[in-house]
Amino acid sequence: MSYVRTVEAALDRASRIAGEEATLVAELQAGSEGAFAYLLGVYQTPVFDLVSHIVENPSDAADVLQDVFVKVFRRIGQFQGDSSLKTWIYKIAIHEASNHRRSWLRRFRREPVSLDAETIGPPIAQSREDTPYQMLEKSERQALVRRALASLASPYRTVVVLREIEGMSYEEIAQVLGVAEGTVKSRLVRGRELLRRKLAGYGAPSGII
Amino acid sequence: MFESCLEIRRHFWDYLEGECDRSVFRSIRYHLDYCASCRMELERIETLKNDLDTLPARRVPPELALRLRVKLSRHLHQNLLDRFLVFVDNALKPLLLPASGGVLAAILCFALIMGSQIIPAASMTDDSGGSNQPPRVQMLAPITFPTGEEGIVVVTHIDAEGRVLSYRVLSGSYSPQVLRHLDRMMYFSHFQPAMMDGKPTDGQVVLSLRQITVRG
Ligand SMILES: [Zn+2]
Repeated sequence: MSYVRTVEAALDRASRIAGEEATLVAELQAGSEGAFAYLLGVYQTPVFDLVSHIVENPSDAADVLQDVFVKVFRRIGQFQGDSSLKTWIYKIAIHEASNHRRSWLRRFRREPVSLDAETIGPPIAQSREDTPYQMLEKSERQALVRRALASLASPYRTVVVLREIEGMSYEEIAQVLGVAEGTVKSRLVRGRELLRRKLAGYGAPSGII
Repeated sequence: MFESCLEIRRHFWDYLEGECDRSVFRSIRYHLDYCASCRMELERIETLKNDLDTLPARRVPPELALRLRVKLSRHLHQNLLDRFLVFVDNALKPLLLPASGGVLAAILCFALIMGSQIIPAASMTDDSGGSNQPPRVQMLAPITFPTGEEGIVVVTHIDAEGRVLSYRVLSGSYSPQVLRHLDRMMYFSHFQPAMMDGKPTDGQVVLSLRQITVRG
């Protein structure tokens, strides 16, 4: 299994064990460099992936990621524990990425740029039985999915990313976006439908995409 | 396709997550029994869902990870740095008094300690009392140039003899002139090489350079 999975497992553990998180937060608020380094280790990849899906130009994700963590470092003293640390960080990330996206759109109104292949990890094998051919087929399909996702209107894309990629609950998404759960659900239904429509011949059993 | 197909398909995502009502669940199951086209659609949505779920994450490039660590280090030590700058300012002012209106400029250098960037993880467990050390600055060449308020952060690669093999600017505003000064500074400064198991070895050190100017 790849590194990404390990991080996700770490995230899940972190959110389940609230006591552990409280200890981490206390250390962060006390300015422990080790705690901040741990925080970066756990969250930098998922946050980078998240903002990459939201900014219009993926090469801007690096700048946004830095802005997000500078805010996290500065504001950790104000973190009250009303939500999980993950939700709090994602909220900052979404806010920064959306702001960046808006100012980008004001400057350059054009189509989203495709992701550069080099920072995208290898496809994750579903099971040990996946053949090299199946892996290739999957990575080709996923490239289509990525493009279709990038072409969705921002509010739909964001909920689809948070739900289908980040695996967040409706409640968490509502907290991150600052909207009602009902809004999350309706955007998700619409977002999924639009995504499926953009992938017209996708996943056809004949193998023709 | 049946009239109800479109309606039924709207629930497929929730169905796959086990998130739909019992009655919806039952009508989907019933519908799938006789509608081959919806069975195929369900399979496609399952594939799409799975492709999304396993979409490989974009990895943080090592350079970006290093930038984040530098930002963190800056954030954590900013107060210390500011206090130190005030201290240096106050300490140097009396020296300038005789020649009133004099200006003294110098480059202050801080080595940012980021162990994981310098010592390979495999040797981190070795705790044999400081036999593993990152490279250190012994003497910084007395060259000054404008570094801007933020300073310039460079990653310097030092060989086992303490020479600078290469360096790259990680952050800060720099011009070709500044780079020429940096070249000279790196060439004429003295470093103590990194030590591993008591032997000198190649290593990297992150330096934060900031010009201070004191007016008398
Ligand atoms: Zn049907």
